Amino acid sequence: MTTELETWLRQASRRLSRDSAAQVRTEIQEHYESARDAAVIGGSTEEEANRLALTALGDARTANCQYRRVLLTSAEARLLREGNWEARAVCSRPGLKWSLLAIPVIVLFAAAAFFLTGALDTARVLLAGGIMMSLFLVPLFLPLYTSSRARVFRFVKWAALIAVLGLAFQWSWLFVACLWPVAWVEWRRISIRRKLPIAEWPKQLYL
Amino acid sequence: MNFKGTLPTLILEALEQEPSHGYRIALRIKERSQGVLDFKEGTLYPALHKLENEGLVQSYEGVEKGRPRRYYRITKSGRAMLAKDRAEWRQLSRAVTLLLGEA
Repeated sequence: MTTELETWLRQASRRLSRDSAAQVRTEIQEHYESARDAAVIGGSTEEEANRLALTALGDARTANCQYRRVLLTSAEARLLREGNWEARAVCSRPGLKWSLLAIPVIVLFAAAAFFLTGALDTARVLLAGGIMMSLFLVPLFLPLYTSSRARVFRFVKWAALIAVLGLAFQWSWLFVACLWPVAWVEWRRISIRRKLPIAEWPKQLYL
Repeated sequence: MNFKGTLPTLILEALEQEPSHGYRIALRIKERSQGVLDFKEGTLYPALHKLENEGLVQSYEGVEKGRPRRYYRITKSGRAMLAKDRAEWRQLSRAVTLLLGEA
């Protein structure tokens, strides 16, 4: 492989996941070799053929930009690899699973108790907290294995999340601060959903 | 000439004839447009991956002259999309010809 092609490939596969970068290298190398062989058959010298094949590939940075839109980036691959650790940890320990599921129920009961005693502000925050916890813990155990069910669930989740945070923080700056990390992860998931065929989605992409 | 946004349609059109690999798709587009439509070949593969993610083409491993190659074939939804793009293009081309006048 020529140094120029190596440089081109390094630029074109920048910030892509290891698998995506390997895919880019293989397909571009195949393409380059075919173009170079065709130029040699057409009467070009070896050096000229290499130059023509590389020129035909165009700008590596433009290709990288387009590749990052359709193939997994290293950050997205990390999110897929590590982003589901809490679900794996919870599901592998049945005791922990039921204890965690009990927490939102207890919090919701506590909210009802505070409401009955007249402590409305505490009840409101506890209600919001209970619903929030349910939103994040319960889906791990729901049968969300089709894209249409997942779409309905996500719609309900976002509507409930916005309503609950609005209720808890009265639409203050705290509302935005709390929503930001969830929105950021969701944005990354949307990008990954576009890049992976549904058959390859892990459970976290359905949520 | 590089008609922005038309590359996916041109790829589908090239694949409608027969399954092919990236290099041959690029050649076919250039040959069939008599060299008028030119694009940088490094951008062909991202477009192919996009079409694959959308289920419009399918890829599979093949061999050509002893070399392993990734081949692409058009799917049923790819053909439907191509038919839709063709109809839209004819409509657009007719409208532009009406505005600019025939040569």
